[in-house]
Amino acid sequence: MSVARALPVFSIAFAVIYVASVQYNLAVVTYHPQLAAWGLLVEAPRQGPAMYWYGWLITSAVGAGAIAALSLALPAHAVERASAVLVWLVPIVMIGVIAYIIRGYFLR
Amino acid sequence: MTTFLLIIHSLAAVTLLGALTHQAISVLWPARQRTGSFVSSLRSVPSMTYTNAIIVLFAFTALLGGTIYPEYRLNVRTMLQDFRLHAPEGAFELKEHVVAIGLGLLPAYWYYWKQPTAKERATTRTIVTVLLAVIVWYGFLTGHVLNNIRGFGS
Repeated sequence: MSVARALPVFSIAFAVIYVASVQYNLAVVTYHPQLAAWGLLVEAPRQGPAMYWYGWLITSAVGAGAIAALSLALPAHAVERASAVLVWLVPIVMIGVIAYIIRGYFLR
Repeated sequence: MTTFLLIIHSLAAVTLLGALTHQAISVLWPARQRTGSFVSSLRSVPSMTYTNAIIVLFAFTALLGGTIYPEYRLNVRTMLQDFRLHAPEGAFELKEHVVAIGLGLLPAYWYYWKQPTAKERATTRTIVTVLLAVIVWYGFLTGHVLNNIRGFGS
């Protein structure tokens, strides 16, 4: 059983969790650039803006890693066949979802 | 320091753009035989040799972008908001998200290029490669336009 076959599952899960993290602000860390200070989980801006992007990336990587590990318990052939399509379809759809979420920038 | 990192970020992005575009062309429009012409050479590059370099370049470029990102939030984004340049601001927001999705796509990209002769993976490999190329092109052009709006080093 090759562990590498979980990599496409990681990529699929990463895209979905990332978009959910953006939409529901599921950052595990917050960065305050004005203070050059980090905070755990989601913190309100202290002085200047708060940055959640790093936290969204960590949330997505950890979540996708867990799902990819779990996928190793599933039948390899079925996962391989589903991944071959979902690995590009899901990121494309998620980019569309993100564009929709931030559409306000382009409609003002 | 930020200006220096921005230059390195730009150079890495140009290198990444070239390598990924080259690979995408070679999988979309492969040459049957090399004739020696520029177009033929472009199409007949051994794509697998690019894969690891592209992964390292993508990660390195994103890491540099992430390093100078706070400077953007403090000094560039506020300027865009002051001048009500909502579309460029949104374009950069979209850039951060598509680059993040691109980062997440790298493990799958490596996986599908691990066996470049596997025909059953050819379609997936092609689409993933082209998708990554589109992401990098979008990121590059958006960064370039934003940099022009703000003015280099200002």
